[in-house]
Amino acid sequence: MAPIRILTAVPICDGHDSAINTINLDLIRYGIEVIYLGYHRSAHDIVRAAIQEDVRAIGISSYNGGHVEFFSEVLSLLQGRDCGHIRVFGGGGATITKADADLMYQRGVDKIFFAGTPLEEMVRYVQSSFSTPIPAVVNTSFEDRIIAVNLSEIEAGNEADSQPPRHVDPNRDTKVFGISGPGGAGKTTLIDELALRFLRKFPADHRLAILSHDPSVVGSGALLGDRATMIYSQDNRVFMRSMATRGLAGGLAAASERAVKYLKGLGIFDAVIIETVGTGQEALPFGFDHSLTDLATLVMPPDYGARLQLQKIAMLDAADIVAVNKADLRGARTAVSEIESRLRSNPRKQTLLQTQANRHRDPGVDQIFSNLFSPTV
Amino acid sequence: MSQLGQIIESVRVYDHFVEAEVASVRKDPAKANEVMGRWRDITAKVGKTRTPTGLELPTLALPRYDDPGEIIRFMLEGGLPGEFPYVSAAYSEQYLSRDQENGAAGEKKGEEPTRLFAGLGLAEDTNQRFHYLSRNQQNKRLSTAFDGPTLYGVGALAPGVFGKIGEGGVAIDTVEDVERLYAGFDLDQPNVSVSMTISGPAPILLAMYIAAAKRRFGSDVVPKLRGTIQADVLKEVQAQNELIFPIGPSLRFLADMVEFCSLNMRRWYPISISGYHIAEAGATPVQQAAYTLSNGFAYVDYFKTKGMDINVFGPRLSFFLDCGLDVEYVALARVCRKIWAIGMRDVFHGDERAQRLKLHTQTSGRSLVAADWKNNLTRTAIELVLACMNATNSCHSNAADEPFTTPSEEYARYAAHAQGILLEESGVFKHMMNTLPGSPGMQAVGEAVQTAILEEFEAIEAQGGVLGAVERRYQRSQIQAAAHVLESQISSGSRPVIGLNRYALEDIAWPDLETIRTPAKKKKAHQERVEEFHRKHARESEKALDRLAAVVENGGNTFSELINCVEHCSLGQITARLTEVVGRFRPMV
Repeated sequence: MAPIRILTAVPICDGHDSAINTINLDLIRYGIEVIYLGYHRSAHDIVRAAIQEDVRAIGISSYNGGHVEFFSEVLSLLQGRDCGHIRVFGGGGATITKADADLMYQRGVDKIFFAGTPLEEMVRYVQSSFSTPIPAVVNTSFEDRIIAVNLSEIEAGNEADSQPPRHVDPNRDTKVFGISGPGGAGKTTLIDELALRFLRKFPADHRLAILSHDPSVVGSGALLGDRATMIYSQDNRVFMRSMATRGLAGGLAAASERAVKYLKGLGIFDAVIIETVGTGQEALPFGFDHSLTDLATLVMPPDYGARLQLQKIAMLDAADIVAVNKADLRGARTAVSEIESRLRSNPRKQTLLQTQANRHRDPGVDQIFSNLFSPTV
Repeated sequence: MSQLGQIIESVRVYDHFVEAEVASVRKDPAKANEVMGRWRDITAKVGKTRTPTGLELPTLALPRYDDPGEIIRFMLEGGLPGEFPYVSAAYSEQYLSRDQENGAAGEKKGEEPTRLFAGLGLAEDTNQRFHYLSRNQQNKRLSTAFDGPTLYGVGALAPGVFGKIGEGGVAIDTVEDVERLYAGFDLDQPNVSVSMTISGPAPILLAMYIAAAKRRFGSDVVPKLRGTIQADVLKEVQAQNELIFPIGPSLRFLADMVEFCSLNMRRWYPISISGYHIAEAGATPVQQAAYTLSNGFAYVDYFKTKGMDINVFGPRLSFFLDCGLDVEYVALARVCRKIWAIGMRDVFHGDERAQRLKLHTQTSGRSLVAADWKNNLTRTAIELVLACMNATNSCHSNAADEPFTTPSEEYARYAAHAQGILLEESGVFKHMMNTLPGSPGMQAVGEAVQTAILEEFEAIEAQGGVLGAVERRYQRSQIQAAAHVLESQISSGSRPVIGLNRYALEDIAWPDLETIRTPAKKKKAHQERVEEFHRKHARESEKALDRLAAVVENGGNTFSELINCVEHCSLGQITARLTEVVGRFRPMV
């Protein structure tokens, strides 16, 4: 049976993430896939993510007040998008009073946990309330919901409905860009910065898809946390889906290839960006011949260790673009020259770039963006 | 070696120096004579006081040492209040009852350390609470809590924030709100000081405060303004998650503000280096101290590289620590003062005023529990004793109902009175500078804490110093791990919490409290006021924002420009424009 997927978040203007961090870790230990959206998130961001991720429920941890209004806003946005089946629960220590909770129950919140609730009780609640499958019947005109449900079907090993959710330009060519690299190299930040540039450059009817991967832990749960550090990708024009590897090694999930083909086939997106999990030296997540991607980028941190380590990194042979990220760190210059000489003997035409993705308006990221999205590609 | 490495080294060197001095005094009769002479002078200068029961006591208790070696160790280890390395206290006579007249003129003695944090609803509601809280105070200390939309700089008109307006703090969007917030207080008088607990948009809020004060008291008021603004960028990244701009630009805006204040507002503390939120996020006491001190040194290093004079900005730095119930708090602040003093003297070469760590303490919010909640009165009282044993310069005591709500007037009053009971009614602190400190137990805790703090410094140093460790999420992950341990200990019962996992009642008794909420009508009214401000300034605001953006791009002092900008622009407008120029802070998880 597919793992339970839920989304957790902390409301807008609230940074109290200590409780939810602890709860997330406990949930994943019990086999639950948690998409963590992070703190200071608007109701719109939460609802959009919940729909795209096709979760059964949203858990909101609120400590800064205004919870009655905030939970109500989440519920009414869900209703307005034919997604009343996504249940809402939450807590806020003792800042949510019994009277508040009663009012929130009336408005459709399923459960509020009060101060002193043991973690096991929350896990049991999630397991017992959300283990039944969502009714698969989709009777909606909401594009993201249709795509999300189909991706879930693909993930479960079933066929997707090939009917596109809306009339699309049959000539739109969806490019597929793979982005991989070791954990902590800055892949997520780079993708978020690329999304920002996409949103600024292309007109409002152009959309971008992101397929982001995180590893499952033993016991089959997973903390899918890439969204939590993304700020620009939380946008109606971006469709993002987080996939757990569910036991598959190598950087992607079993269903990834079919998911990418589905997204490409829709004709809705200008591009699909695939983010792998943090990869090891031997990983070739997109294959050596790149049947899955149009362009593959390897993001490298400058601190990969000894020069000899570079010889063992298979993606250095297979990548089209190699980005040495965190170019401000000590050792970045050494890394660039060592990688440059490592690439020199490769037959493939490769581009080596330096980026500092965590810097606003970084010219290195601009360069990757134009490599990916320039009309000549 | 980075500055932090040098600080570790200099603390160790200092401890060796003390022991070497002890040995040398014991060997050298001339030195011994000199020490004994100094000791006689010190003893002779100690004042006398009489208790209400007629007992005569010295205002400072000195140990009965006749060995010059012990005496020099006592002096160099900071046994004397107000003497380097300030272990005992930063100043020589704090807490002593105001009716005793033994202190030197101009000392900070006799100031009530009471500071009560308030912020609710709209500016006029908080203003009313300020007047209520300070009605019996000679010194008006207005400590301001802001609501979420203000803390995150988005403003009350941002989509989706309506429910948050005026919740958990006061809603401030414009200079006019700041005028209303402090109405009726003489901001130009020495007995009024204001503190603002805000970091992300701190420069914008302080600019509004200056502009509001100028409107009421004229431009001469600027050097007279007294108070503190939190403005601690690094702890936001490590624990509190309320940062708006990326770390680099945030530090720059901070440095511009600190520079302006050190030159033009010599009575203002433009940064409060805060461990409180680090501890509240679940850090151990040692982590709190280590991260806070190392953040402080990182700021000093940064300001110095910006060409600022340590003897100008150094004395304007202040600290804010949490005080909980763990045994470390018996001596934590004492150790912090020592490490700070040594680092500032021996590594950064600051003068005596820069070496003194000025400390505000707040009792632990995290230690308060909802179950059988009136026990929180006792918890806070014990924490207050610990904070005063550590000679904090000012203190906020939490209200017992805080797990549920913004404190009600009743419990805010009890919290304030707890300090009065401790410092005025009880005789423990008001007669003598050191009735309690200096026990062998306190000494042993202090030594263990110091060792552990220096070990944490080494871990940070190994990652390229504070900023390198921040980038690698070191402090965050350590705090999160500690929080997880703490919660599991409470959950398993191995860490007793009375009324929760020990001696618990059958049913959690919910208080019959009126929770403080801001009605929707007020929230709407506030939004309308901000809209009205935007309309009124529609012609000037774009130009003002353009000027600000130009200063940011061209590298001038952004703070001076902000003071102009707030005349025409709201908080939300300013952060939106600055975000376009410098980007947004990417959350760390």
